Amino acid sequence: MKMNRKIIWMLLFGVATLFTQCKDSGAVVEPDDENELITSVTLKFAEQGTTNVSTFSYKDADGEGGNAPTKFDTITLKPNATYTLTIELLDESKSPVQDITKEVAEESDEHLFVYTATPASLLTYTYGDKDVNNFAIGLTGKAVTGVAGTGKLKIQLRHQPGSKNGTASPGSDDVNLDFDLKIQ
Amino acid sequence: MIKIVFVFFLSILGSFTYAQNPSCACFIKGVVRDQHSGLPIVGATVLIVGQNNGVFTDQQGKYQFNNLCPGAHEIECRIVGYNPFRQKLDLTAGHEENFTLQESEVHLKDVEITAHRTDAPSSQPLTTLSGTELFQTRGENLAESLKSLTGVTALQTGSSISKPVIHGMHSNRVLIMNNGVRQEGQQWGSEHAPEIDPFVATRLSVVKGAAGVRYGSDAIGGVILVEPEELPFDKTLSGEVNLVGFSNGRQGVASGTLQGRVKGFTGFGWRAQGTIKRGGNIRTPNYFLDNTGLSEKNFSLSAGYRHKGFGLDIFYSRFDTQIGIFSGSHIGSVTDLLAVIKNGEPLVKSGFSYNIGRPNQNVTHNLIKAEAHYHFDDGNRIQWTIAQQLNDRNEFDLHRPRNDSIATLNHPELTFKLNTLTNDVVWDHKPIAQKITGQVGISSLYQYNLMSGRPLIPNFNQFNIGIFWIERYIKNNWEFEAGARYDYRTLSTHRIVNRVKVSNDFTFSNFSGTFGATKNISRQLSARLNVGTAWRAPNVSELFSDGVHHGAAAFEKGDSTLLQEKAINTVGSIKYSSEKLTIELGGYYNYIADYIYLKPQPEPILTIRGAFPYFKYTQTDAIFKGIDLSVGWEIIKNFTLTSKLSYLRVYDKRNDGYLVMIPPNRLDNQFKYEFPSFGKWQKVSVSAGNLLVARQKRVPANSDFSPPPPAYSLWNIQAGGSIPISKKNELEINVSVQNLFNTAYRDYLNRFRYYSDDMGRQASLRLKWKFGV
Repeated sequence: MKMNRKIIWMLLFGVATLFTQCKDSGAVVEPDDENELITSVTLKFAEQGTTNVSTFSYKDADGEGGNAPTKFDTITLKPNATYTLTIELLDESKSPVQDITKEVAEESDEHLFVYTATPASLLTYTYGDKDVNNFAIGLTGKAVTGVAGTGKLKIQLRHQPGSKNGTASPGSDDVNLDFDLKIQ
Repeated sequence: MIKIVFVFFLSILGSFTYAQNPSCACFIKGVVRDQHSGLPIVGATVLIVGQNNGVFTDQQGKYQFNNLCPGAHEIECRIVGYNPFRQKLDLTAGHEENFTLQESEVHLKDVEITAHRTDAPSSQPLTTLSGTELFQTRGENLAESLKSLTGVTALQTGSSISKPVIHGMHSNRVLIMNNGVRQEGQQWGSEHAPEIDPFVATRLSVVKGAAGVRYGSDAIGGVILVEPEELPFDKTLSGEVNLVGFSNGRQGVASGTLQGRVKGFTGFGWRAQGTIKRGGNIRTPNYFLDNTGLSEKNFSLSAGYRHKGFGLDIFYSRFDTQIGIFSGSHIGSVTDLLAVIKNGEPLVKSGFSYNIGRPNQNVTHNLIKAEAHYHFDDGNRIQWTIAQQLNDRNEFDLHRPRNDSIATLNHPELTFKLNTLTNDVVWDHKPIAQKITGQVGISSLYQYNLMSGRPLIPNFNQFNIGIFWIERYIKNNWEFEAGARYDYRTLSTHRIVNRVKVSNDFTFSNFSGTFGATKNISRQLSARLNVGTAWRAPNVSELFSDGVHHGAAAFEKGDSTLLQEKAINTVGSIKYSSEKLTIELGGYYNYIADYIYLKPQPEPILTIRGAFPYFKYTQTDAIFKGIDLSVGWEIIKNFTLTSKLSYLRVYDKRNDGYLVMIPPNRLDNQFKYEFPSFGKWQKVSVSAGNLLVARQKRVPANSDFSPPPPAYSLWNIQAGGSIPISKKNELEINVSVQNLFNTAYRDYLNRFRYYSDDMGRQASLRLKWKFGV
């Protein structure tokens, strides 16, 4: 009988511990402000010899998942023209919006933008900037269009920490977008 | 859940009427009693194997067999909740000297039997790794250790992260009972290995098939039991030291155990155990894999007390690992992945290094458990187990944040903290009419998860309560088992969507049942059949995933309307064992209703890193059916062949197709020669073997970036033995070479098969020194 009472006490203690540990995991959920995302890419084509600036962007403000991208422009350019091309990256999932272009510029020795037109005759890109190791970056450059036609312009941001060698192969993609390209 | 390891004694006494009379007038009698309480065990079944002869222990725990013929007999003792124990007795040989004694009753043997209590269903296949077989796997992680069992394989992420796969199922479909407590980590992730140091255990067992009644949710594919030895309540100081060296990765493992009683404090036992592991970059036949080192530091402490029927055990363990993830497996886009696949070998080159850099996982798992039980004089027994687990997982991406001030913090990109409290009370009722035994239990689980960093799974609170009842009926050579269980679960999730908190509530409930029968047909032949059900609630990643899974280059989307999975598993097996030949043939048919899987969607999903193939968590009805065959054949004296075949076929019934990531069929053959004598050495053997793994041909079309890798064949050799140094000191040695010919291969179940070959040649040396005073 004495033992039975002991057991009852044990059980009561066990049940009691069940409720002492409760914690509301919902009380501590908060937005992630530490992990940076790239949510939008904006290309600015400034036609040389004019004041014309054409802007084309990809925008997925909440990052991957959630809502679908809200903007994915077709790049429309004049044939046989020369443009100064600058690129801007933003993280709009944060408040306030973060400028990733600045971060890339600060760590330019780890980053490389790659611009690939298909077919290649549509657009020729020439880098206009260099990092500390004299390798191209691609934040700014020159784009020369060819004859009229349609195709794709692939924009890649290669993240190459410790391995940047001037080629596209090392590292991995932080941006990989195929914009529709129309030369007309 | 409840499982305790405890020991009972079975004293066997035998007698002869007269030596020169070989008539059938021998008898065996004895008492089955509990070790720590010293109380007789009432209602234990004692059988003479292969004869239609079985008795129950009486109120004093006594049993007796009369009119036995001289010769070899094997007796078996069964008690509900224990593994059946078998002991061979020879009622003639080697005991002539006793016949000069005047006493009519002589001790043939005083056999100390240590039977480990387990709650595994008796009619389901249970395979155990212990002793020398377990020694041969020392230093490997839990899943690798179990790979030698039929029907068990490993799901790998490189060579350092492995998850056990039973009959084609893994992660949340395999339950691991670590020292009687259900292991609760972030099991949903295929790159989240179980946080268990196998050195804690002296037995690793696998229950194959659905065992939901006894173990609750998740036991769909099977259950893995990690069991330490009983504490040394009545033994002096002893221990063992294990040292393991692996050539590949230049890995070293050291583990030590020290245990004993406390002088002047009867009934008290303790044990301390610790393991250190350190390894560097793994080498495939042709190249090193960058950042594949690992570091592990684990320890456990336990103490227990026994007094009469009362027992108390306290156990604490800490598992702490840092695992480097092959940096060549980091990809940003599908283009990156296709480039590596096309290249045929990793784009990232490396030499040997012990350094663990990004990407890596740092995981700690703390478990504290208290278990109390009481044996009532009338045969009833109650047990209560309470355990808390803290799982802290930190994952670091390859790239640090670009922002320098954030980068210097060096915070993990993903942090999961899972806190679990489990409570189990089990009542073993006293035998009814000496034929029926059983247990009733209630289990509860309370859990919360805190997640920070890149949003992956929500925070959640989960509560589960389950009640079960199992009865077992033994008659002659038949044994029946039946049980039922009801579970109720609530889940509240909290996540941030567009910077706003969104909460969801779910409830799940389920009935499970089991029915099994075992029949000992003859001395050599036995058969068993079990039909069992199990269930599992969809896990949070299946409910809420929404993003690119970078290891898999796939966009995975959860579905918050998923229902629970229900499995009905039929498993049957026949075992034949004679002196020269042992055959165990098992077949299973596991029907899983509402099986949750990632279904490829026709349209890809566009992200900033390009378009990713789109997979959505969907439910179907799946059939897992297969055969496990193991044969041991002593071809000539001391020379044996062991063959193990695991054959599995899986169908997606609703879509009339196949499912992904199903282990291919495999055949393992080992030839072994045991030296009858070898000087002072004992158990000296050499063996050579081959593992054949077929190509997985049954895969759904267009759901993978590269086809399943071709079949492969690996050879291995091994030699080992033990040498007694003194009465209580023994040294055991094992040398082995795996992948003897340094074959380049890729395994379908290794997630790194896209990026690199599997591990090359691996030579290992294992030493075990057992000591005592």
